[in-house]
Parts: sequence; C-alpha cells; structure tokens
Amino acid sequence: MKKCGVCNKREAIVSFTHIVDDVKQTLLLCHECASEKNIKVLVVPPAQAKEAPVLVKEIKIELAKLAGAEGDGGVRCSTCAMSYEEFKKIGRLGCPHCYDAFASQLERLLKRIHGDDRHRGKGPLEAAQSTGAADELERLREELAQAVAEEAFEEAAQLRDRIRVLEGK
Amino acid sequence: MNIEDLVYNAASWLSGAGDADGMVVSCRARLARNLAGWAFAPKTTLEDQKKIIEQVLSAAQKCRPMCDAAFFHMNTLQANQRQLLVERHLISPALAKSKGQRGVLFNADESLGVMINEEDHLRLQAILPGLQTHAAWQRVDALDDALRSELDWAQSERWGFLTACPTNTGTGLRISVLIHLPALVLTEDIERVMRGLVRMAFAVRGFYGEGTNVVGNLFQISNQATLGVTEGEIVEKLSEITQQIISHEKEAQAALLADASAQVEDKVWRAYGILQHARVLSGQDFMNLLSAVRLGCSLGLIDGLPLGFINQLMIVTQPSHLQAEASADLSSADRDVRRAELVRRRWAEQRGLS
Repeated sequence: MKKCGVCNKREAIVSFTHIVDDVKQTLLLCHECASEKNIKVLVVPPAQAKEAPVLVKEIKIELAKLAGAEGDGGVRCSTCAMSYEEFKKIGRLGCPHCYDAFASQLERLLKRIHGDDRHRGKGPLEAAQSTGAADELERLREELAQAVAEEAFEEAAQLRDRIRVLEGK
Repeated sequence: MNIEDLVYNAASWLSGAGDADGMVVSCRARLARNLAGWAFAPKTTLEDQKKIIEQVLSAAQKCRPMCDAAFFHMNTLQANQRQLLVERHLISPALAKSKGQRGVLFNADESLGVMINEEDHLRLQAILPGLQTHAAWQRVDALDDALRSELDWAQSERWGFLTACPTNTGTGLRISVLIHLPALVLTEDIERVMRGLVRMAFAVRGFYGEGTNVVGNLFQISNQATLGVTEGEIVEKLSEITQQIISHEKEAQAALLADASAQVEDKVWRAYGILQHARVLSGQDFMNLLSAVRLGCSLGLIDGLPLGFINQLMIVTQPSHLQAEASADLSSADRDVRRAELVRRRWAEQRGLS
C-alpha cells in the first residue's frame, strides 16, 4: 500500500500531478486529503469491468493472496493430483473434480472473474427435457385457445392433436 | 474431402446476409464443454485424447446437425493446411500450434464446428453472417443438445458446465460479433467506445480472436462473464451493445461526410481503383483498402458491390489460402503479387456478374 503524501497515514488512492516553476511534481493522496485540496476523485469502475490482461493479473494476485492467507498451496485434487500451486501457474484446472477440491478458493476467484458464483444458465439434460416439453405444451395450449377464439377450427384441431401426443409422452 | 478444396468453398458466414448496415460481418456463438469422467486437457494423456476423439466422433455421427460434417485430425495436416483452417475461423491459432491428438469437425457450409481437445475437450461453434446473435446461439444450443444426448458433460448444479479455465465456467458461452468500424477509427472516437465496452465487461479483440491484432478496422467484441447470467441474457446484452456501437459508427460516418465529404469520397474511390488495378498488394495494404471500399458501401457511395463479395475476398487473400491455391510455398513477395492478381481476377468476374 502506498501512503498518502500529506497525512502519511491513509492509503493513497489518487495521484495528483501539478507543475510548479516548470517542475513536474506528482503527489499521491488519500481520499480525505484529496477532498481537502478540492481534488475530485473519479469513481473506479466496478470489479467485473476489466480488460482481460488486467483480469488475468488480478486473478494471479488473488491466487497468491489466497495461497498466502490459507497456506493452501499444498492442496491437491485427489482425482488428477493437480496441486493448487500448479493451477496458479498454468491457470487451467486438471479435471472436473478440481472444482470440488479447490471449492473455497475457486468460489472467490469465480466471483472475481464473473461478478457472481452461481450458475443460472442451461441445466442438465433431464431438466431440459422435462421443461422443454412443459414449455412446448404451455405454448400449444395458448395457441389452441387463440385458435378457438379466432374460430380457426382446422388449426385448433391440429394443435389439439399435437397436445395429445405430447401429453401421452 | 480434400482440405485444399476449402479454398473454393464459400463459407456461409461470409454471405453478407443479415448485415443491413454493412458493418457486422458475422457473429459467432461458442460453447466450452468437457466430458465427465476424464481429466481436462492439461492432464490428459495421448491415449485419453485419442479415446475422447473417438467418443466425440461416434456421438457426432448420430447427431443430425453434424451428419454431413468432415473431420480433420491435426496430425494429418501440414502447417499450411492448419493455418488455412485458422484463416477460415474453423480452428483457433492455439489448436493449430498444439501437438497431440487433436482435431476439428465442421459441416459443409462451415456454419457449425467442433474443435476436439483444444483447451476443453469440445469447443462447439456456430457462425452466421451479419448480426444474427440469437440464431447463432440457437444453432449452437441445438448442437449441444444433440451431442449431450450421446455424451455426458462435466457439470455441477452450482457452477454449471465445468471448464479447464475458470473464465469459461458456467454457461461456457462466448458470443462475439465481427464488426467493421472505420469511421470511429478515423474520428479517433474508437478509444472512447472501447473503454466503454470494457467497462461493461465486454472484451475487444482482433480479427482472429484472442491475442490477435486489429486489421482493416475489424473488431471482435465478446462477452466476458459466463457465470451468474443465463445464455439468453448474454445474447441479449451483446445484441444490444452491438446496436449501440452501430449507431455510434453511423453518427461518426455522418460526421465525416458533413466535415470532409470530398476527402472521404476520395479515400473510398482511390481504394476502389487501386484494388482493381494494383500489381502488388501486401496483406495489410489490402485489408486497409478493402476497409475503405466497405466504408464506401456503408455510406451508399458504392452501389451494386455485394458485401458477400467483399467478405469472401477478405478470406481468400490470406497467406495460406494463396499458397493452397498456388499449390506451392510462396515467399511474402510472391504472395503480394499473387494477392493483387487474385483480387483483379475476382473483381473482373464480379463485374461480369453484375
């Protein structure tokens, strides 16, 4: 942490460059001292909004911190024998089970990368099959109601047949 | 199929369809998938990799979207042939360089592909012309469904699809557009737009994806986050962002025309003339001139030149395409002559058609 050049206590978060008698001076300031000097501090963009190289660097720092804090460099995946140390080096996991073996470390890392640590997308095959059919049925029933309302009976009969087939599944 | 025949194949994603403003060349949806019960790429043995290829190929044969697909094993390809696949966006530069049991499967019109044993066991992709992000997602989603009825994906309830690199965990979905932004580059507003994109967690890359340079004012924009968002949200967000960039580019084009219409028209028409008559064209030169011609089409200055023709030229003039067509290794100087010759010939054919 760089200290503020004025109070010499708090963390410096802004660098202020000014020119006095043709000499460029750069001053590092903390939030408080900066506001005292009426220097506007721009809001730092949110964590997920980072360019890939910056992100990679942060991941590395984060990984190093994790290893330091929890002394888990020695954690190993029991399936593929990859150590956490090794993952930190190559940035790639060894097998699906690594996700369980390094769960606590990955949780923080994933949150850092994606801004979230819980999957909300496509589910397993079985779930897709059941909801897929359910969605389709619901859609067909709506269409049937519509067709009946419009007195399009031929279309309604076709829709009814398809609904019967799906329900019979 | 003979791999050199690809040179004469018009990939469907270059057709120029769905590109109302002449800006979005193509869009691509890719899914990272791994087989359950196997180590990820860094820990697989050659024997594992071989079995993974076998499993994927046998599954692909049974799946309708891939029934007409051709498979190429990397070991059977020369460096130039691999590079040809990179130039056609069918494989990544990383796959072309890597050793071991690796391959690629793609369908006849090159709209669907599967890289096997790249960073993940499978990388599925769908590429479509223009801004058809939803359709691209649907196609890759259908391919995923067809394959997973035969194969068992590594996944968890909490973290979704498990990938070798944590940057793909969750949906494994990376969706990108290849967009031409000449006016934003000329007005130097591009930096500002790019910074905005990065702030919104979108990545900006060059023509051939990760780690490649921007050529001919073509940018590839893609989502960063794959976890905690649904596939639909990712697709929606990228489409929205792309629409915004299109309107920025349109504003910049209007501003250019208002401030310096003579200079802009001159730039466009000079490029138009040079491309049809030059005797030596370097790759960089060519892409910049083609960019000016494409701008001319976007501005409505050039009429009757199909975008599909421009897109196609962009690929067939790449180094490995020139070498494959010549059936010889060419020096850089030879290629520049060949490139100019090819562009003149294609242009003459195009004039004959219109």
